[in-house]
Amino acid sequence: ENVDPKKDGQQLEQITVFHDADNFNVKHPLMHNWTLWFTKPPSGKADNWNDLLKDVVTFDSVEEFWGIYNNITPTSELALKSDYHLFKEGVRPEWEDIQNKHGGKWAYQFKDKRSVPIDELWLHVMLAAIGETLENSDDGEVMGVVVNVRKGFYRIGLWTRTTGKPIPGGGDGDNAGGKGRNAEKGKEVLMGIGRRFREVLRLRDNEVVEFSGHIDSQHAGSSRAKAKFIV
Amino acid sequence: APLKTGSVEPAQPSAALTSLRSARPIGRLNDVKYPQDIASPNPALNAAAPMGKFKYEKDFLMQFQNVFVEKPSLDWDIKIKETVGDTPDSARPQSAR
Repeated sequence: ENVDPKKDGQQLEQITVFHDADNFNVKHPLMHNWTLWFTKPPSGKADNWNDLLKDVVTFDSVEEFWGIYNNITPTSELALKSDYHLFKEGVRPEWEDIQNKHGGKWAYQFKDKRSVPIDELWLHVMLAAIGETLENSDDGEVMGVVVNVRKGFYRIGLWTRTTGKPIPGGGDGDNAGGKGRNAEKGKEVLMGIGRRFREVLRLRDNEVVEFSGHIDSQHAGSSRAKAKFIV
Repeated sequence: APLKTGSVEPAQPSAALTSLRSARPIGRLNDVKYPQDIASPNPALNAAAPMGKFKYEKDFLMQFQNVFVEKPSLDWDIKIKETVGDTPDSARPQSAR
């Protein structure tokens, strides 16, 4: 069959939002679907955690991300005890979730709330998550990112599937939690993610991000578990 | 947008929102010719990318910030009120028309 190249070319014409913000026909897909969650501050009454943690929206394109970001309260304007969580679709942003319970998190607390550009830093962390630049393609560790607004600090965290060790149901392969990924490689993957995370947060040389396992955090009775790794 | 009182017409999606809903996901980044003032995604990030599975660096993503500013759904304000609370818009005085 003869395909008229001109006609074919017309069919393939790709109009992006940059060409025409009101009439585009292609959008930029993300590698994963992401869900934005919000934790409301407790009202003081008998609040149930499940009533406070709400999923806001799930999206799968760069364009939609910006529609959301441009029309939602910035972190700097949230009340104390609020959180935003941006997680891969299907993962609840709680350590009890079956996909999180063997994992851990990299985290950094910004204690000087007035001088830290928290909106910009949180935006950059979200962009690194949805743009998939926090880990290598086969690492399989990143579950989501979170920002906590507290009285004395902002904290930004990055949750991982494992603590660098095999996990139940992780299989035999060289994947996150698989038996084929030895302890040395498991640690190196997490350290690589930690280094990229601290780069996104633009930390100074004397500021470190700490990694701790969720279960260790629970046993410590608070989120101040002893750091397993630092970078 | 300012609230229209006294009107019960269902809201119509804007052109931008209609485009967002109907646009196809890009299959191959190489097929896209960006306008001259837009920097393409870093090809090194996507050298071995499968169809429609791309990585994007911050500088590429930031270019969208002032380009797609539409609310992502018609019920966005209600949804935000139910989940996050007040929107930045509703916290500011509306300009009179």
